[in-house]
Amino acid sequence: MAFVLTFLIRRLAQGVVIVLLVTFLIFTLLRVIPGDPVRIMLGPATTQAVVEARAQELGLRDSIPEQFVRYIAKAVQGDFGESYFIGETGIALTAQNVVGGKGQDTATEQREAKMTRAGVLKVIADGLPYTLMLAGMGLLFTLLMAVPLGIAAGLNQEKWQDRLAFFIGSVFISLPNFWLALVLILLITARAGLLPSIGYKGFGYVILPAIVLAVELAPIIIRGLSMSIAQALQAGYVSGGIVRGLPWRQIIVRHVLRNSSIPMLNLFGVQIGGLLLGGVFVTEFVFDYPGVGRSTVQAVLQRDFPVIQGVAILAASILVLANIMVDLASTFIDRRLKF
Amino acid sequence: MAAPPLLDAQGISVDLVRRSVSEPILRDVSFQLRERQVLGIIGESGSGKTVLSRVLCNAITEPLEITAGSVGYHGRDLLTIPAAEMQALRGREIGYIGSDPGSALDPTIPVGHQIVEKLRAVQPDMSKQAARERALEVLSAVRMPRPERRFDEFPFQYSGGMMQRALIVDALVSNPTFLIADNVTQQLDVTVAAQIIRLMHDLRDQLDTAIIFISSSLAIVREIADDIIVLQEGRIIERSTPEAIVAAPEHDYSKRLLERIPRIWAVEERAQPKTEGEAALLEVDDVYKTYRVNDPTRFFGHNDVEAVRGVTFNVKAGENFGIVGESGCGKSTLSRLLSWIEAPDKGSISFEGESVAKMNRRRLLGLRHRFQLLLQDPYNAMPPHMPVGRTILEPLLIHGGMGRRAMRNRVLEVMNEVGLPADIYDHLQIGLSAGQRQRINLARALVLEPRLLILDETLSALDQVEQSRLLEIFDKLQAEHGFTYIFISHDLAMVRRACTRIAVMYLGKIVELADNHTVFFNPGHPYTKALLSAVPTIEERRYDAAENLLEGEPPSPIGIPPGCSFNSRCPLAFERCTTDEPGLESRGDGRISACYWANASEDELIAAADANRARRAAGEASAP
Repeated sequence: MAFVLTFLIRRLAQGVVIVLLVTFLIFTLLRVIPGDPVRIMLGPATTQAVVEARAQELGLRDSIPEQFVRYIAKAVQGDFGESYFIGETGIALTAQNVVGGKGQDTATEQREAKMTRAGVLKVIADGLPYTLMLAGMGLLFTLLMAVPLGIAAGLNQEKWQDRLAFFIGSVFISLPNFWLALVLILLITARAGLLPSIGYKGFGYVILPAIVLAVELAPIIIRGLSMSIAQALQAGYVSGGIVRGLPWRQIIVRHVLRNSSIPMLNLFGVQIGGLLLGGVFVTEFVFDYPGVGRSTVQAVLQRDFPVIQGVAILAASILVLANIMVDLASTFIDRRLKF
Repeated sequence: MAAPPLLDAQGISVDLVRRSVSEPILRDVSFQLRERQVLGIIGESGSGKTVLSRVLCNAITEPLEITAGSVGYHGRDLLTIPAAEMQALRGREIGYIGSDPGSALDPTIPVGHQIVEKLRAVQPDMSKQAARERALEVLSAVRMPRPERRFDEFPFQYSGGMMQRALIVDALVSNPTFLIADNVTQQLDVTVAAQIIRLMHDLRDQLDTAIIFISSSLAIVREIADDIIVLQEGRIIERSTPEAIVAAPEHDYSKRLLERIPRIWAVEERAQPKTEGEAALLEVDDVYKTYRVNDPTRFFGHNDVEAVRGVTFNVKAGENFGIVGESGCGKSTLSRLLSWIEAPDKGSISFEGESVAKMNRRRLLGLRHRFQLLLQDPYNAMPPHMPVGRTILEPLLIHGGMGRRAMRNRVLEVMNEVGLPADIYDHLQIGLSAGQRQRINLARALVLEPRLLILDETLSALDQVEQSRLLEIFDKLQAEHGFTYIFISHDLAMVRRACTRIAVMYLGKIVELADNHTVFFNPGHPYTKALLSAVPTIEERRYDAAENLLEGEPPSPIGIPPGCSFNSRCPLAFERCTTDEPGLESRGDGRISACYWANASEDELIAAADANRARRAAGEASAP
């Protein structure tokens, strides 16, 4: 099993490089696209001189590589900076709150405001449990829908099960997630009052957003699963199994499903990682669900650089780790695979 | 005949049904199988052999459909008994071994575990432990080396021959009353195939199992069968015995089948061209190639695969030089080195007296003009979306310096030379036969007017008739343009017909190099004899497999032990062979052989074989 160790060391090293590259890309893009966080922070009434002074203070006027090196040096020590806008208590520090609008002694108020800015790690830690719960429920619903349909379709190619799965997949993939979210809010919460949504006051608030996620993810799993099962059925060990005297059920359960799980795992690692993350951002924003995704969308709108960078590192790390685990799991199922 | 037949197939017809159009696959096939009989069924691909084998165990699936017939077995009809009863017979009383050992088992589960799974599926009352013991017992019976360890290994860790052995175990483990063996040797190397046939022969004597042995090769079937059925386009056209069908085939089709079996010894030999004193066209001097692969069992470990280990030979202009060997002997790596797709790690290759390694890129591109490589698979070697003419034209575009009209004329000229009609110039390759595709492949190489053609299994995918036609084209081109050919192949019969000098490779080395006649009539290396004894043929064998072909397979090219690589399978090996590797010894007239017995007399060889036999018997006796 030495290869597991070799594999982990190699892949983790690669992963660090990937995360660094992603961070650098996000870091640079944030600073070259239009939109100045200081201007948003201080409001339109502030003079250019105050804005410049504040920007200097935050180090935003240094060259990008300089800023990046400074950021990374702190990040490796666990300091991801502080949000420009979110206070320690979770209350948003808007231009009004910070500057007060009175124009008197703004410097002291700013200093106070700076004292109460929330750390990026805290922003993420506050939202992460909610996001994990949403993602978990979303995946659960996805699997509940997609696995039976995908298996039935794969085992019955070109029969009604296959057509049904294709039909459902086509419909689901055509539904935009934000539109579906709004429709569900309107019909289920507002009109029928069956399930709560908007915000979070209890477990019931997870269900509708999770369904929206599941509708987005299910078609890919259905398609992937039915294709890999149909392909596995063509393999020699299936026709061979019949003449060797293995019962059909056993061939399916012990061999076909086992072999088709490898492409499924890979699909999970690559596709689902990306889609799930993207879907979580949009869904949380539409449902005003208090997770990392909502904070991120807000941060993007406000140009809250430290939060965006922190989430980018988190997202990239999750993707890298998920793929390493997927590949490792695959090698245990099929020993021919040695990544 | 007093005893009732074990199996009584009557009037079997099978159709291929696609969109309500039926196409006949089998028509009115009837035969009987007696207890302990070995019934051979031969026919070309597409004659319905495999479908028939599946009918016998009632494993026909869509789009195939059984339209008539019955298979009587112990008073019941296998085609109409309930599915559950058939399920109980399949794998238990009816054993089945297919042609593709590589894919017959689940690649993700150890082989032994799958044999146990099967055994317990057909005998549910058997305990896991008992099933395991039974599987190990049969693994030892088929002479699987180290069965305990093999039991837990995965299919990809098995060679083709070992896998086929494991599948024989899988079929026999439940003591079936009859066994269906469908083309079991098709994908195996000759020496391995011969071992498998020998094994089935032995097993048949030990067990009370009747065998239906299906193959496309009459030469193989006649080795083992008591009776033979010839199948053509789904019908039985002749029933005979092996002796009778070889001596006097009745049906025209059987006669044709017989004629198409290549002869090994009774072949008109090619005259050796006058090459005395001429400079060599290609000089290969002590080339090595080692590949590095990851070793999953060690931390950051890797293994060296020694693919080519010090190969030296010269090819003179106008020669037909052959390189033969079995899978894994390094011949494909050598062809990659010769055509300079890869550079050797050590040693040099010179073309027309100039070392290829020392050439710059431009010079090398110019040189590629003059040597061309032709591969085995004509389907994947060409872009499918490109018209025939354009495909052949491609090299002229790459090497440049010709006008449009001139290029077109050159292509048409070459197409004519290889026997392609000019009117397919603008056609796509779809619908062209393998032979025609291989001609396009050849034309594409010839268009540059090369001097040397390296043919890596180029004729292997073609049938005998098409092979002969292409060989004639090769001859004609050689006469007109003075080409030199290097044939790299596993096919001894083809090399026998086509080559003037032949090198035999084993585990990355040339073990024998001699003229065609010597290699086939007076080989100096025991491996050459083993190869010759294993080739399926209908001629009288010059070399007896029982004497020349021992059990075993070539060692792994990773961590090759000292001594002669062939010593583990050599009937002449003695102590020194396990420690010191013999160099290539001259046998006169440019014939060389890497064996201590290269120049031994007949008596010395017999004495060596006797000594070796005694040594092996002693070794077996002392083994636990």
